[in-house]
Amino acid sequence: MVDAAERIWLGELVNAFAFIGAGGHHAGRDFFGGYCCFNDVAIAIEKLRGAHGLCRAAVLDTDAHHGDGTRDIYRSDPAVLHVCLCGTEYVSADGTKVDVDIYDRCLEAGARSDDVYLGAATAAFAPRARSFGPELLVWYFGFDGHQGDYGDLGLTAACYRGLAGLVLALAEELCAGRLLVVLGGGSRTDLATSLIPPIIARLAEVRG
Amino acid sequence: MAIRRTGIFYHPSFSRRSYLTVGRRLAEFPGALKDLLTSPQVVLFESPAVSDDLILRVHTKELIDGVAKDPL
Repeated sequence: MVDAAERIWLGELVNAFAFIGAGGHHAGRDFFGGYCCFNDVAIAIEKLRGAHGLCRAAVLDTDAHHGDGTRDIYRSDPAVLHVCLCGTEYVSADGTKVDVDIYDRCLEAGARSDDVYLGAATAAFAPRARSFGPELLVWYFGFDGHQGDYGDLGLTAACYRGLAGLVLALAEELCAGRLLVVLGGGSRTDLATSLIPPIIARLAEVRG
Repeated sequence: MAIRRTGIFYHPSFSRRSYLTVGRRLAEFPGALKDLLTSPQVVLFESPAVSDDLILRVHTKELIDGVAKDPL
């Protein structure tokens, strides 16, 4: 993932999809768990900052569970926008750390969960990203909220396609297309196999 | 105009075993990427390891030691 971030930053790639062996967003500065070891997103951001002068990164976390590790690492860092769709509601004083409680909304939405989730992600992330002005956009893409997986929010492939469209459009608008998609949670082989290739295909087809 | 490329970063170990899923969720990869990789716009990379020094910019030494000792 660090290599992916560097190749995007250096212009060799416009965007990338990074598979993982273990999760990252539950790994904080001095704790880990929840199937996560090291915070891959933070390590990539710090590499770009240290070696290449990255200043501002925006992270959209749509794993079904709260990205507590990422939040721990960047809690006091206003140069990282972290918007997380999870089970709590929170906005930091400076507006760069945002949690959106999506659980009850999806539960109540039933068959309309995709629309509700995508609408919430768009409303929470798009205006803040525009105001923030990132140089790199990161999408922490967990599919555990898909119907039948361990964080079931009633979501389907249509929601993930919509999220891909959202982050692609914002990356093109805000940071020359620089988008890093990182695999998060999700456990089912059939879902990984059916959901991931179309996301990558979408990354590859958006060209200015 | 140069082709704007999309990278895929993958390592065979991700399919052999995963902390998250005990090795099954990515069992169909990289085979499931076969069609995508026919596109000149898509490039597959093998994910390299990162150094402890880089990890230490984010995490404590105690975390690295704890991960090393964790049976996962």
